[in-house]
Amino acid sequence: MPRDVTDTPETLLDIRNLSVDFRTPRGRVKALRDISFPIRRNRIIGIVGESGSGKSTVLWALLGLLAKNAEVTGGEVRFGERDLLHASEAQLRAVRGEEISVVFQDPMTSQIPVLTYARQMRDILYRRPGVSIAEKRRLAVEMLTKVGIPDPDKRIDQYPHHFSGGMRQRAGIAMALLTGPQLLLADEPTTALDVTMEAQIIHLLQDLQRELEATVVVVSHNLGLIAELCDDVVVMYAGEVIEAGEVREIFHNAQHPYTRALLECDPARIDDVSRKLPVIPGDIPDLTRALSGCIYAPRCQRVMPVCRDEAPQEVARGQASFARCHLLAGSHHDPDWPPPLDVMTVGLDGVAKSKPTHAEHGKPLLEISDLNVRFETVGPLRARLKRIAQRHVDAVLDVSLSVGPGETVGLVGESGSGKTTLGRAVLNLVASQAGTIRFEGQEIRNMPESRFKPLRRDMAMMFQDPVGSLSPRKSVRALITEPFQIHGFTGVDLDAEAERLAEMVRLPKAFLSRYPHELSGGQARRVGVARALALNPKLIIADEPTAGLDVSVQGEILNLMADLQAEHGLGYLIITHNLPVVRHIADRLAIMYLGRIVEEGRTAEIFKRPVHPYTRALVEGVPQPDPDRRRMHVSISGEVPSLLNRPKGCDFAGRCPLVQDRCRAEKPGHVTMADGRRHACHFPLA
Amino acid sequence: MSVNRSDPETGLPPVDASGLPDHLTEADVRESAARERREKLRLFLTNWQGLGGLILVTLFFASAIFAPWIAPYEPNVLDVPSRLSGPTWDHLAGTDQLGRDTLSRILYGGRVALKIAAIGVSVALVVGLILGMIAGFGPRWLDNLLLLAFDTVRAFPTIVLALATVALTGPSLGVVLAIVIITSIPQYARVARTATLTLRNTDFILAERSLGAGTARTLLHHVMPNVVGPLLILAAMDVPVVVTVEAGLSFLGLGVTPPTASWGTILNEGYLVIRDAPWMVVAGGIPLILTTLGFTFLGEALRDIFDPRMGKGS
Repeated sequence: MPRDVTDTPETLLDIRNLSVDFRTPRGRVKALRDISFPIRRNRIIGIVGESGSGKSTVLWALLGLLAKNAEVTGGEVRFGERDLLHASEAQLRAVRGEEISVVFQDPMTSQIPVLTYARQMRDILYRRPGVSIAEKRRLAVEMLTKVGIPDPDKRIDQYPHHFSGGMRQRAGIAMALLTGPQLLLADEPTTALDVTMEAQIIHLLQDLQRELEATVVVVSHNLGLIAELCDDVVVMYAGEVIEAGEVREIFHNAQHPYTRALLECDPARIDDVSRKLPVIPGDIPDLTRALSGCIYAPRCQRVMPVCRDEAPQEVARGQASFARCHLLAGSHHDPDWPPPLDVMTVGLDGVAKSKPTHAEHGKPLLEISDLNVRFETVGPLRARLKRIAQRHVDAVLDVSLSVGPGETVGLVGESGSGKTTLGRAVLNLVASQAGTIRFEGQEIRNMPESRFKPLRRDMAMMFQDPVGSLSPRKSVRALITEPFQIHGFTGVDLDAEAERLAEMVRLPKAFLSRYPHELSGGQARRVGVARALALNPKLIIADEPTAGLDVSVQGEILNLMADLQAEHGLGYLIITHNLPVVRHIADRLAIMYLGRIVEEGRTAEIFKRPVHPYTRALVEGVPQPDPDRRRMHVSISGEVPSLLNRPKGCDFAGRCPLVQDRCRAEKPGHVTMADGRRHACHFPLA
Repeated sequence: MSVNRSDPETGLPPVDASGLPDHLTEADVRESAARERREKLRLFLTNWQGLGGLILVTLFFASAIFAPWIAPYEPNVLDVPSRLSGPTWDHLAGTDQLGRDTLSRILYGGRVALKIAAIGVSVALVVGLILGMIAGFGPRWLDNLLLLAFDTVRAFPTIVLALATVALTGPSLGVVLAIVIITSIPQYARVARTATLTLRNTDFILAERSLGAGTARTLLHHVMPNVVGPLLILAAMDVPVVVTVEAGLSFLGLGVTPPTASWGTILNEGYLVIRDAPWMVVAGGIPLILTTLGFTFLGEALRDIFDPRMGKGS
């Protein structure tokens, strides 16, 4: 194997033939098989893969922090003179935190809630007995300044719950860097954050890496993040490295069919808004079974007979750059592979059905006007005692929105924008305080449940967590036939209905006897869709329909939803923070910020020419899966303010790059433009 | 477009879009569930505590149910000439001051213990489950009211409650049963309430509401199956408590009425003649200890297997 690069001084850490098994009740899961790649000094390396690819396992194997049921069955991890896989616990402890440190996915659970940052950061420096406490504090404050925490001298004495999500992640990075490690490992560092925060953290990591000359390994499923941040990329699939190379090689000239397929599936990359998204068919293989041939063969768009029997060799194309595929060398070499980037290699899922044109939707299905949802924060007695005038927060403030039959409306906003609350208020799951909600002309706001129940046949909801929204002790058959029982349909053949619905959402019949925990995210999502569709509703409210799904699967769900819409004329209200996805499916978009709609209009126009500065920030904030389109600046800074202290003027004034005096003093009203777009901005961009 | 999804040359099964390869059939799915069950059973049988507990509990049930067939004598037949006999081949566990065979009385006493344990624990479990779910799912005031009731009962010493009740009604098996049920309802209710509270705000309960499911349906179909597991484990651990409460009350003369044999009365009678016939107390205590150990081991093993968060994990 052409591994001569590995001993050069530029290699900081070299993973060679690493294999890890997990012992589970189902048998041994071969989670990592023969992983080899070098980590080069002073570079940012991205490990990218879908769930089950073993990307996080690699990270924990480096640190010797694998779960108890894991067993390293072979290989070595060279770190200088040492082999981390065979180092003693004492040696590993000396490496962890000092030479290699970690930034975790969820800063909320990885920081100690009962200790101040000052204390936590002082403790990190416990191996420096010669450094005084005051000196340690000075070092910590310095590091907090570096990661962009304002007023660090004061804030260091605060607890993690005083920090917002983005600040907490900044603090997490500061803690990881405090000891001056040579290698920084980041496990999905932005997954728990909003789009605008994600962009800020990406830039922070980049700046710090340059400044401190550190080596960074980022593990992520987010191709945009990898393209934006990394120098080298390692692509993993089902416990194997299938391709590795420099970021441009991977994103512009991917050699492996899987890498290629993954890139093609990313909705952010697809400019053609065709409503159909490509999909990698199939599922990750069962790693407890004996494996032969290429691991990706069962799902590969270019599978050949040889792929099923013979494992492909590593084919090098440059320094530390290789792919494993029969197409690239040997007797099955295909000189025309890979095709140019604009050729699609993976198929579109299902038969492409054209969406009915809906220039005029006629009477709207759902009409919300001036809706207000308020949550009580303090009880009336306490408010009086403590003299708190404002007892409520406005989670939804004067929202007007309509959805027509056969129309898809995207409701976009960051966490805390009130978008989920709005969806729940429509379905009468949350009480609202003012405004009207009309469904087919009938006022339904705060209707008593006994009268609302028949309407639930016409309105259904898909929940954010595909598995968590299914009752865990019920079989799929029971779950998808439940709506019939709830609404008292007698004389319905439930078994036949179950099969009809399963077929409709393309779920094999065998799955009807499964339980939710035995389903993958995509399969559970199908069950959720089947349940929502059971009684032929007219309107579906979908809360983050692609949350928790891998890139290769989310297309399946979105295509399914589009097909069902074409067939049944459903109206969709899609609640999401994921702009690339919503761009492909929504006819109209409404952007929410702090409970208000700041802009609303046709999707294509909003993307082409955003009117509100916040919309522009969101549109530009999506990391592009193209290393040549990296952003040089972050368009907005700061974070979403708390609902508890809503700004007096425009809600966005505190973060707006174009803010004027008037914005701070006066709340902008909703203005309808000539082309039918509405916005709430004193100084619109267009 | 170079789409090539299934390969006609190899004849290998194509993979359908849903993620379940065709070679995975319903039988496979069932098999994996069966494998999981077998694995649970294997875990249980390799756990020496669980196995020992299971054997002891089986012995307890068998001896109580088959007492009329295996007992060497009638439990209440007097044989005054051989009174207070030590352990002999005729009377393996000796006789009491009236010449009744202690072994037979122990076996029949097991029937009383079993009756109390089975009826008392199952009634307490069902009532506790219902009250707990109502407390956890209902309005705040109802929750507070029920909690107050649970805490009041729990704060009341069992023996004092028993004394007071017996003073009113006279001792009987029914009174023992009632006391056992009333005093153990709160612990079931509390566990059920806590579990219900955590379920209440989960997505799947909200999903049921969005489909139009009413409270009764939600509780019965979706909350109960998730709450009842821990309660069953609790019940296994509660059996020895109930058995000892019965024995204790009978020992104090507040439980079953003579001449009915119960482990408590055997201990009581043995206690009176402990200087002359110490084996009676020993023989009466051993089944009590073994039953207690058996159910405790069984309960702990069940908890370890079904609640991995609390167990040692494997």
